[in-house]
Amino acid sequence: MSAGTVSSSPAGWRLRLSQRLPLVIGAGILLFFLLLAIGAPVVAPYDPILQNGATRLQPPSLLHPFGTDNFGRDLLSRVIWGTRIDLQIALIGVVFPFVIGTIVGTIAGFFGGIVDALFMRLIDIILAFPFLVLMLSIIAILGPGLSSFYIAMALVGWVSYARLIRAQILVLKNSDYAVAAVSLGFGRFRIMFRHLLPNAIAGSIVFAMSDAVLVLLSGAAVSYLGLGVQPPVAEWGVMVAEGQSFITTAWWITLFPGLSIVCLAFGFSMLGDALGELLGVHE
Amino acid sequence: MTKRWNNIGRAAFAAALILSASYAEAAGILTIGRREDSTTFDPIKSAQNVDNWVFSNVFEVLVRVDKTGTKLEPGLAESWTVSDDGLTYTFKIRDAKFSDGSPITAEDAAFSLLRIRDHEGSLWSDSYKIVETAEAADPKTLVVKLKTPSAPFLSTLALPNVSVLSKKAVEAGEDAFAELPTASSGAFTVKEWRRGDRVILEKNPNFWQADRVKLDGVEWISVPDDNTRMLNVQAGQLDAAIFVPFSRVEELKKDPNLTVHIDTSTREDHLLINHEHGMLAKKEVRQALDMAIDKKAIVDTVTFGIGTVANSYIPKGSLYHHDANYQYPYDPEKAKAMLAEAGASDLTLNYIVNAGNEVDEQIAVQLQQQFAKAGVTVNLQKVDPSQSWDMLVAGDYDISVMYWTNDILDPDQKTTFVLGHDTNMNYMTRYNSDKVKQLVAAARLELDPAKREAMYVDIQKTAKDDVHWVDLYYSPYLNVSRKNIENFYQNPLGRFFLEDTVKN
Repeated sequence: MSAGTVSSSPAGWRLRLSQRLPLVIGAGILLFFLLLAIGAPVVAPYDPILQNGATRLQPPSLLHPFGTDNFGRDLLSRVIWGTRIDLQIALIGVVFPFVIGTIVGTIAGFFGGIVDALFMRLIDIILAFPFLVLMLSIIAILGPGLSSFYIAMALVGWVSYARLIRAQILVLKNSDYAVAAVSLGFGRFRIMFRHLLPNAIAGSIVFAMSDAVLVLLSGAAVSYLGLGVQPPVAEWGVMVAEGQSFITTAWWITLFPGLSIVCLAFGFSMLGDALGELLGVHE
Repeated sequence: MTKRWNNIGRAAFAAALILSASYAEAAGILTIGRREDSTTFDPIKSAQNVDNWVFSNVFEVLVRVDKTGTKLEPGLAESWTVSDDGLTYTFKIRDAKFSDGSPITAEDAAFSLLRIRDHEGSLWSDSYKIVETAEAADPKTLVVKLKTPSAPFLSTLALPNVSVLSKKAVEAGEDAFAELPTASSGAFTVKEWRRGDRVILEKNPNFWQADRVKLDGVEWISVPDDNTRMLNVQAGQLDAAIFVPFSRVEELKKDPNLTVHIDTSTREDHLLINHEHGMLAKKEVRQALDMAIDKKAIVDTVTFGIGTVANSYIPKGSLYHHDANYQYPYDPEKAKAMLAEAGASDLTLNYIVNAGNEVDEQIAVQLQQQFAKAGVTVNLQKVDPSQSWDMLVAGDYDISVMYWTNDILDPDQKTTFVLGHDTNMNYMTRYNSDKVKQLVAAARLELDPAKREAMYVDIQKTAKDDVHWVDLYYSPYLNVSRKNIENFYQNPLGRFFLEDTVKN
């Protein structure tokens, strides 16, 4: 990135429309889903879990824009209520790994030596297992449910953040201002979290956006396998799973929740891309 | 790179074409798609339908169940007599041969009967403990002596697992026999078994009714995914497929190339109740739960109206089914009142659901809402099927849905398992009624059919009143075949009469 474009003046913003478009789209999609989640009780036309034998397996119509499922539940309402669960999954599933990973990565990078070696070997061990397999085994031990999913996510997901931050800290701790801070006699924690971390964290924030996509998809996958959200709660992954057996006769049951997953994931990755450009992070 | 992949793609496509062509050319070979592959060819070592349904193609029994699934008819035993005390059975063995050309003798029959009783690998030994001795009086006469008289004994001989095996072939190597039986007494022989993929059967020219068999061979092909299996039949890659999902029946019926077979079965789905858990020990509470369930709605939603509401643990159409048995009306308000009266108004139940089982999950979601109307909170717990069985056995549940299909036409087997037994805690329900238990034991010894029927009516009434479990629905076997396949039929006990099937 050249010196001219680093400028954060309003003029600079206006000039880079191609850069702003992904940001607007990504943020717009997320905002839309956020509003939908908050307003679910008002926006949703029907009760998402109320079964109605009279309206089973109806194709999309004016009355039921997304159609109904095999229990006669309105799919539009279920998709809207599902937004709450899926956004929650994406947020909580990212925040815990982010916080844990950042702290561990900062400490490991700053202290180096035995502390670093220990954490890095632990990370190697976790990375040695395929991500989903490890997740599923932890959930199987804890028992199915969303809280198990969050715990498993926190236990497995932090390693990527830790490695990212550590690499940044390793570079930054030898920079002039860090050396200056040390020579001024500042405490280690002050240097770590006041001086180094703010400069190291941009990459993690961008990564968090793309990680949100992965978390969202794993959440849906785990629920699809019956280990996540339990029925009759509306969640997109569960809805896709429920519609699977009707895919040749009632395509709408799987299509709309599936599309919603795609849209939300798209929003996150657009935002991630745009933030990467803005913060000058190259992945 | 791209070009290479293109070529590979074309090659694969061509291969697929050739493959599908070879499907179609094999005239006289019936290909049947099913969910899973066989597990063994040693009949005593399996209790699964997936195996039993192939056993009855390959091995012949002494006494057969007829097409209606309600009567016994001669198999390898041409005729039989029973002594007046009901203890000695004398069978006259038919003049027949195994597929390897050796004669089928009374010695083979005695060997097979004693083997299922005594072999340490037998899953069925309990059912044949009643046999005192089985001997060949001469090569064509089998004499069986029982320890006590037993009304259901003859019908247990129709079980595919006690089929007549060649003593010589089995003793030549049991493990090899279980992989690929070298001698078979049934309509077909096993030509090849590609584990995990398919079982290939070929017509047995030495079968005693060989002129009845029209097919040259049969292939049981495992296609686990329901949608794929149905598509294969629609595309003509399979002649037939079993286990049609309820949701697909209407659609397949409309296809002019297909025939959908709805054959009566003995399957009954029911809600198990753990009688040892708190309030569930009270009869009134269980009756209230029965009343809180709208069985008709379940039949409509889950089985798409194909099943019928169940009113007795003995399925409709089976021996001694009591059609006038009481049915609790669907009345959530009364259920709520009854629960309150019994002091169980804030009942919370733990419901074990088999994860991945479409029907189970649908019933669970529906029952949860129905129970909520009666003020009962139900927590669904999805568990892997391998684990759920252990949890039920251990009593780690309040309610759970299971099903049962009969193996023999006599009701004694199921009755013993679900009402009159101690060792399996009455099919995990922990139901305990001395009156019923004595009645079950007495009915087993009663040789007069009329008196026996009266006893079974009594048992069904009592079981209903006690709500040992909640009867939900009966459902038929759902199979589909191409229009050019005739006489593809399954009797209520699951036996496919492939000896009558014709491929035009």
